[in-house]
Amino acid sequence: MIEEETLVLDLKTKSKQAQAFEVLVNTYKERLYWQIRSIVLNHQDADDVLQNTFIKVYKNIDGFKGDSKLFSWMYRIATNEALNFIKKRAKLQGISDTDYQDKLVSNLEADVYFEGDEIQLQLQKAIATLPEKQKLVFNMKYFQELKYEEISEILDTSVGGLKASYHLAVKKLEQYLKED
Amino acid sequence: MNKNKNNPFKTPESYFNSFEDKLMDKLSKPESTFPKDSAFNVPDNYFKSFNETLKKQLNNEPKVIPLFSIKKVFAVAASIAAIAVIALNYDWNSSNDLSFEDLANTDIEAYFENNDFGLSPYEIAEVLPVTNTEYSDFLSSPIESDNLLDYLNENVSDFDELNFEDNE
Repeated sequence: MIEEETLVLDLKTKSKQAQAFEVLVNTYKERLYWQIRSIVLNHQDADDVLQNTFIKVYKNIDGFKGDSKLFSWMYRIATNEALNFIKKRAKLQGISDTDYQDKLVSNLEADVYFEGDEIQLQLQKAIATLPEKQKLVFNMKYFQELKYEEISEILDTSVGGLKASYHLAVKKLEQYLKED
Repeated sequence: MNKNKNNPFKTPESYFNSFEDKLMDKLSKPESTFPKDSAFNVPDNYFKSFNETLKKQLNNEPKVIPLFSIKKVFAVAASIAAIAVIALNYDWNSSNDLSFEDLANTDIEAYFENNDFGLSPYEIAEVLPVTNTEYSDFLSSPIESDNLLDYLNENVSDFDELNFEDNE
């Protein structure tokens, strides 16, 4: 895999930009997709948000200072794009974010791109009840298996805080699944 | 706290340093009932064809309009000329300066209704002074006390609820 610093440099150089962008998309599209999908839940919306994310990355690469890793920077853009997407959609339908997310989960049963059994569906319903931060942390740690250090850089939260969030999320999910 | 000098027991190296991490990991270990697979799928070849779709999207992005097009220069010149003509004919001595008071209440209301400030009622409540605010500040015409009593009669079943000091 190409070195990150070289990739960033190439992205900022006109003559190498197109090729470097292709490498960037190939390297990160799947990881960013799953981050977005865990927030917007359906494929079509995830596809829209993923495209917007890369368009934003492409337009703003000159502003990337290298303070954080390229991967964390893009992950942060993807996460914000997905969260904003949800908020916009909820507003458009005149309902709260929570109601909109409940609706997304209930649509999963009819979603051709969700092949979950009863337990997997219940787990998604349970995740939908978590506060935003806990939801993000749980999805990133449990399903995407990111390291706490990586999540810390993406969400700009201390590792200790993340561990506490994850612990709380797990407890709430267990409780929800037991009650149901 | 350091261990007692006479204490013959030892702990493995950096045991206490890593204790918190180990404990947290253990606490956070989900029950085995959590499925590891999230069950989300993507259409066949989605990731393969994604680059092409994205390329098309990038090419469809609206073109950047140059900052100083000839048309713009003409437009700016024309507006300067128009302003000069109006300014020459304007009665500079009139003192009809517009102030906040001249705004119609309906215009202010419409502005707040049509512009989204992204503030929830709670956030607005945080910046509004509570102590010096009377309910009459929000009303354009005063409420007759008879009407108020009628309303309370019809809509409040438990009058104790109105005893704010007790319910605060």
